[in-house]
Amino acid sequence: MAKEMIAMLLAGGQGSRLYALTQKLAKPAVPFGGKYRIIDFPLSNCVNSGIDTVGILTQYQPMVLNEYIGNGQPWDLDRLYGGVHVLPPYQQASGSDWYKGTANAIYQNIPFIERYNPQYVIILSGDQICKQDYSDFLRFHKEKGAEFSVAVMEVPWDEASRFGLMVTDETDRITEFQEKPKNPKSNLASMGIYIFNWDILKKYLIEDEADPNSENDFGNNIIPNLLKDGRKMYAYHFSGYWKDVGTISSLWEANMEVLDPEHSGINLFDENWKIYSRNSGMTGHKICASATVENSMITDGCQIMGDVKHSILFAGVTVEKGAKVEDAVVMGGSVIKAGAVVEHCIIAENVVIGENAVVGAMPADGQKGVATVGSGVTIGAGAKIGPDAMISKNVEGGEERW
Amino acid sequence: MVNSNADALGIIFPNTYDSLVPQLTNERLMASIPFAGRYRMIDFILSSMVNCGIDNIAVIVRENYHSLMDHLGAGREWDLTRKNGGLTIFPPYSQKNLKVYTGRVEALGSIIPFLKSQKEKYVILSDANIAVNFDFKAMIDAHVASGADVTIAYTKEEIPESARKSDLGGDLYFTLKLDGNRVNELYINSRESGIQNFSMNIYVIDRELLIRQTEYAFVHGYTFFERDMLAPYLDKLNVQGFCYEGYAARISNINSYFDENMKLIDDDNREALFGSNPIYTKIRDDNPTRYIGDAKAKDVLVADGCVIEGEVERSVLFRGVRIGKGAKVRDCVLMQDTVIEDGACVEYAITDKDVTVSAGKELKGADSFPVYVAKGKTV
Repeated sequence: MAKEMIAMLLAGGQGSRLYALTQKLAKPAVPFGGKYRIIDFPLSNCVNSGIDTVGILTQYQPMVLNEYIGNGQPWDLDRLYGGVHVLPPYQQASGSDWYKGTANAIYQNIPFIERYNPQYVIILSGDQICKQDYSDFLRFHKEKGAEFSVAVMEVPWDEASRFGLMVTDETDRITEFQEKPKNPKSNLASMGIYIFNWDILKKYLIEDEADPNSENDFGNNIIPNLLKDGRKMYAYHFSGYWKDVGTISSLWEANMEVLDPEHSGINLFDENWKIYSRNSGMTGHKICASATVENSMITDGCQIMGDVKHSILFAGVTVEKGAKVEDAVVMGGSVIKAGAVVEHCIIAENVVIGENAVVGAMPADGQKGVATVGSGVTIGAGAKIGPDAMISKNVEGGEERW
Repeated sequence: MVNSNADALGIIFPNTYDSLVPQLTNERLMASIPFAGRYRMIDFILSSMVNCGIDNIAVIVRENYHSLMDHLGAGREWDLTRKNGGLTIFPPYSQKNLKVYTGRVEALGSIIPFLKSQKEKYVILSDANIAVNFDFKAMIDAHVASGADVTIAYTKEEIPESARKSDLGGDLYFTLKLDGNRVNELYINSRESGIQNFSMNIYVIDRELLIRQTEYAFVHGYTFFERDMLAPYLDKLNVQGFCYEGYAARISNINSYFDENMKLIDDDNREALFGSNPIYTKIRDDNPTRYIGDAKAKDVLVADGCVIEGEVERSVLFRGVRIGKGAKVRDCVLMQDTVIEDGACVEYAITDKDVTVSAGKELKGADSFPVYVAKGKTV
């Protein structure tokens, strides 16, 4: 029985620019928005779009991700035929290889895709916050009679040179591809989400693999090769919320935007497009009499005795009496002790911020740094963490880090 | 069997004491009454059993059980989707001569073939009217150590006024007279006041004995397990008491429902009930709760999925509750998806699932008499 379209989700990214947050886990497993991990978004999009077969390509620090995905039940992807499969690189009779590039990762899993004999394959990226109906994308792909389609976003012209750009004609057919050009001819940025006809994708993957000079990358090799051969390539315009959360500041910003879904952020309250995740199972959160909570998002299991303003608290966070949390993202299980001040920062999972410690600072004098404390770190009492600091080891009481 | 598994089978009677809270059980049963922000009453006994290694659990439903079936599903959230054992729900078995049962004997009688085919040595019987993180392992150990035929868990507490005074119909309650741990007398609907050995209606009994007693009682047309199968045999059977000293929230009428919810706002109580082992429940995939604009919250227990724009104090909010701008909520238990519209003012109220309090309306009960708004109603 063939599937019409299956998804291949690239989740091997190290997320090196998130350094302190990705020491022990892959970027798609980074927590987001109070109770989610980044990978919940593409996975939920798949399910909500009717895609029931997803291959997740992992490589870097896969343990947390593997455990999190499990049998895929939270996303309704525990299926008899299809469902979610984690696909790490593996040893073969001819030797073993890490995934050398995005295209090579798919190439190594051609047998997996063949099992489902799909007409179309959608390639997804595991490090974006986005709500997208892939079935609408597929409809576009079919209507255009395309062999390859890419989802694009219009970006401001002055930022265009940071992206891979698609130059199109009036029918949305792609005529040229510019990778981070100095002189952009287009402001249509590739979102790194592609639909291929499977026969085409397979052909180009095999050819690409045979080319010893190739970097085995979709953007650098496969797409240029398709263009060279005059394949039917189209750009699908996407206008919803999309954010690449590759840096600490963009991750922080995307989290803060969640607090304002009416204007800027992703709407997590959309009953018609639920984002699924593995739940903490903790009991409800408690706001004590000594607490004030303003414009924030609080998750099950939190215990709030201090002041929380414009922040996102993940499951099981404790904010003790007299502590102050503002413009902060505090991930699961962290404890902010009495009198500590935590501002404009990202605190990873299971962190302890000691009494009267100060982490981060509200932006002043053009200073916009987002302090970051990595998971499991203890910040001693009275320590001071500057707004640009990235902390991945314990900090003794009274010390200062900038 | 590795020793993390208990050699016991669980049987839960979800309908017992439905009559104590007629408002809440109008469209559901005791076991599916929402409790503590995100749970249903049955979650506590079910999770306790699972946490003690009991993974073969039967739920014998009697009536109004749609909400419970919906809640339990295949039992996955409690890790009870098992090839061997797992969760089994027994709906009333309509035979020509069998009416919907009123007592435990008939309920057990209807599943005798099931009981006979199981392999566990012991059976645990429990109702679902008590929210408790119960250590069944300790109770089974005590049962084995004492060589008892039957062990009954009890608490030392006063019998709630409501239970003593109300007309319980088919629902009886029991107190124990003890000699050491041995149960000498089993009082039914005792009128005495003061601290007593109040049965939790949690029993450990040998499976073979249970089958024998049930068959005997069944053919004699008896109805009640305690009245007809235990009380008359206290001299012949070794019946032991097992004193439970942990936290227990017993629902005995609408007031105690309100009070037991409110008590869990207190950190010590919440820790006592939830601290030892996890309590599992059905997942709803709600987003975290948002506090927007001028929202003010003090002394509240709030589940995920709420949107709070008004003021809320000393209240328990279940999943998906919305409190509009300028609305004031004090001393309330708001069940899932309750909507308090802008400017409304609600005090001492229990709103059932999907209740709406319209903009600007006032709804006030008293601390001794919380107002109850039925499921789906609009004020």
